[in-house]
Amino acid sequence: MEALLTTAASDYSPHMAVVSEPGPADEADWIARAQRADTGAFERLYRMHVDKVYGLCLRMTGNVAEAEDCAQDAFIQAWNKIDRFRGDSAFATWLHRIAVNSVLGRMRKSKREQDRIQLAGETTDAPAAVADTGELRDLANAVNRLPEGARHVFVLYAVYGYSHDEAGKMLGIAPGTSKAQLHRARRLLAQQLEQEGFEP
Amino acid sequence: MNTIERDDELLARARDLSTGISPEQDLWPGIEAAIRRPKTSRWTPRFAQAAAIVLLVGASSGLTWLATKDQVQVVEVVPAGLVFEQASFGGRYALGVGYQEAHRDLEAQLDTELQRLSPEARAEVEENLAMIRGAIGQINAALAEEPDNPLLQELLVQTYREELALMQRVGGLTQRVMPRRDI
Repeated sequence: MEALLTTAASDYSPHMAVVSEPGPADEADWIARAQRADTGAFERLYRMHVDKVYGLCLRMTGNVAEAEDCAQDAFIQAWNKIDRFRGDSAFATWLHRIAVNSVLGRMRKSKREQDRIQLAGETTDAPAAVADTGELRDLANAVNRLPEGARHVFVLYAVYGYSHDEAGKMLGIAPGTSKAQLHRARRLLAQQLEQEGFEP
Repeated sequence: MNTIERDDELLARARDLSTGISPEQDLWPGIEAAIRRPKTSRWTPRFAQAAAIVLLVGASSGLTWLATKDQVQVVEVVPAGLVFEQASFGGRYALGVGYQEAHRDLEAQLDTELQRLSPEARAEVEENLAMIRGAIGQINAALAEEPDNPLLQELLVQTYREELALMQRVGGLTQRVMPRRDI
């Protein structure tokens, strides 16, 4: 076990036992190593952030395959751009911004969004809803049925806690538009949940 | 519960939704395969040649500007870069119809405008235009071999921009051509 604690990042294997939660100092070290092309350190960053990045992609796309592609693409882009990361924002925020770009780029290119809407109209749970329990699952399903613009803002603002300024920058829209989309999302969600007999 | 309370409750519940969701499969192998793939060098002989020409064009354009600045009245209404903001640059490296029209307009006026210059300045401009157009040809040839090379694509755009800027400087035609919004 002692050897595991002192193992260099480049020797890291996902099969190793996790001995402690990584902290900000570890993250800064891994970023610095990844900037020197250490793929082992980058893998650690991936393991640390993949759930949040994938979760964001899944809630924004509502489609497992699309979300996997977007998350994978986001990490590949992050690797290609990591030498430009200067720490002006948190690494997670920087990654999320790349992930949102990836989602938006893919949605523009593909017509899967239309398929997604059709699928969302069915009664099965949205893919992201499996992560939630009880009444939250109803809310997750309702979020998944929102129109794209309203859903993206709602996910970034209400679920991930970004400000309208931050969400607007990520989505390429004005903060005012973000506020308007949030208002629309809340109205639509309230209607949906009311129809389903869910009392917020 | 009124609307505001209902909205607050909705947002509070949204904050409880999971932000971290594990993918069903490990995405790392795909990422690792992509990032370990050796990067092909973008600095090919063709690219180096094209880049050198563009550098020469840039320096030479500057000298041309110095040579002609006192002879023509330059009316800069919109920077040349803005034309490119609105020009399409497709997979076949052709600029959009709007750009081509603007280019044609400038080209049509160029001969007239050149006559206003001194013979030395005119020769300088013509030499520069020939060099820029040669560079465009070189870069297009390099792109034919490496169609996905982003640096070559960037060089091509930069060279088109040089050409348009030089024509604008000579002609002072920006006032008539540049305000177009269909480019």
